[in-house]
Amino acid sequence: MKLSTVLTGRILPVIGAGVLLWPCIPADAAPQRVEKHFTVKGRPVVVIRNIGNGRIEVKSWKNSEIVVTGTKASDKIAVETEQAGDRIDVSSSVVDFSANAKEMEANFQLTVPEETELQLRTQTGLIYVEQVTGDMTLDSVAGDVHLKEVSGYIIVTTTGGSLVCTQCAGKLEFSSISGSAQVLQPSLNNVKLRTMTGNILFDGDFVHTGLYSMRSGKGLVEVRFSGNDSFDLNAQTATGTVDNQAAEYLKPDSHGVKHMASKFSKGLFGTVGMGFAKVELSSYSGTIRILKRD
Amino acid sequence: MQCRELEVFFEQEGLAPLSAAARQHLSECHACKHFFDDVTAIVAVAHQLPAEVDPPEHIWISIRTELVREGTIRGFSSSRETAPWWQSFAELFRSRTWATAAVAMVIIIVGFMLGSKPGEQVLQVQEDPYSSTVTALSQQEHDVANMQLASTGETSAVDASLRQNLQQVNEFIADCERRVREVPSDELAREYLTNAYRQKAELLSAMMDRGGSLN
Repeated sequence: MKLSTVLTGRILPVIGAGVLLWPCIPADAAPQRVEKHFTVKGRPVVVIRNIGNGRIEVKSWKNSEIVVTGTKASDKIAVETEQAGDRIDVSSSVVDFSANAKEMEANFQLTVPEETELQLRTQTGLIYVEQVTGDMTLDSVAGDVHLKEVSGYIIVTTTGGSLVCTQCAGKLEFSSISGSAQVLQPSLNNVKLRTMTGNILFDGDFVHTGLYSMRSGKGLVEVRFSGNDSFDLNAQTATGTVDNQAAEYLKPDSHGVKHMASKFSKGLFGTVGMGFAKVELSSYSGTIRILKRD
Repeated sequence: MQCRELEVFFEQEGLAPLSAAARQHLSECHACKHFFDDVTAIVAVAHQLPAEVDPPEHIWISIRTELVREGTIRGFSSSRETAPWWQSFAELFRSRTWATAAVAMVIIIVGFMLGSKPGEQVLQVQEDPYSSTVTALSQQEHDVANMQLASTGETSAVDASLRQNLQQVNEFIADCERRVREVPSDELAREYLTNAYRQKAELLSAMMDRGGSLN
């Protein structure tokens, strides 16, 4: 068989058909990557609004530049970036409303200057922030939030996602329905943790003059303090229990204010050390546990 | 078919399906064809406009729960049927503009009352704030359920999480309500109940927003 015959008779039709069918091949088959670089001057503000699902990871470096790397699962979701001075906006939006959950996935990796303010929102997937100094607002429905060595005014809101905050400093607010919160080795001077059914663990030192308020409706509220800590304690539960495993460290309140639990609730009041910090623990039906770290 | 006949046809039958005679006339009459194209374009654009959305119930609930939390108003009742007078009044404010004006008005009134009246008198404003909260939340939950029934899309992990959390909130509310009924003076239980209502309102609002934007 002649080569020209083969070409015209078999290969060319196949190639022709391939060319014609090219637009019909789904363009959303493979994940697509986007990388953008933004030069900033002062303390930048980064806003990420991920309407889809996916992970957001933020790490810092010493450069005055923000690098945004994003991957999206399909063409049914669009990733847009915008710079206005030191404000960087990154958002994902649905292009095709027939997209399923998997096709709406968009993951973001950011490298930012050490001093950066963050506003991050996602639906599912982890939010991870490491070594960033600046105020941050982090929202997630079902995704967890992990923070490591961050400082500033930190506000975390989730529906079911949990928070793990390791070596955080500054002020922390956490609000969730079923998410739990773990605060480990903190240098926080103002803490407000609220969850309806999740657990709360605070394992670390209380800063003098610090204010710490932790409430869980049905979960366990556990505080592990050190022998050097100094705080006034107010623990109350409506129908739950107070498990005091630090009775030998807890003295009657030495500040002249006589605290009493309501006759309808169980309470524990006392002072550890000089009572410099203020610790308020509350639960509706869960357990409040106080113990000293080894 | 004449132009006037086509006009009557549109009035009675709408734009589609067109009869053979109407199609024939449109192919011959430029004026009617332009008119038909304009109306078709207007209808298409109108379909893309978002429907007027009711003001979120959580605005009212948040105001009310905040007043309860601050001790300005208090009280609890298991009665869910009787709505207070102002709730029916609130039905008037269904449009966004009226809702905004109404919320502003409520804030101004509450601010005035807090500033000028001693607490005991303010307590007389509403003796039973929770019943209307419960009614509003039940209505909103019903709307969310209908929205989910109407949705033909698959259930995502986010939707599943929201529903699961709503169930947990409902269970917690039921628990707190029981306690408050049994021990009305339990301020701690009352406080948790108030916060639970607020969280439920926010959760339902999030579910509404999500249902409207994604599914």
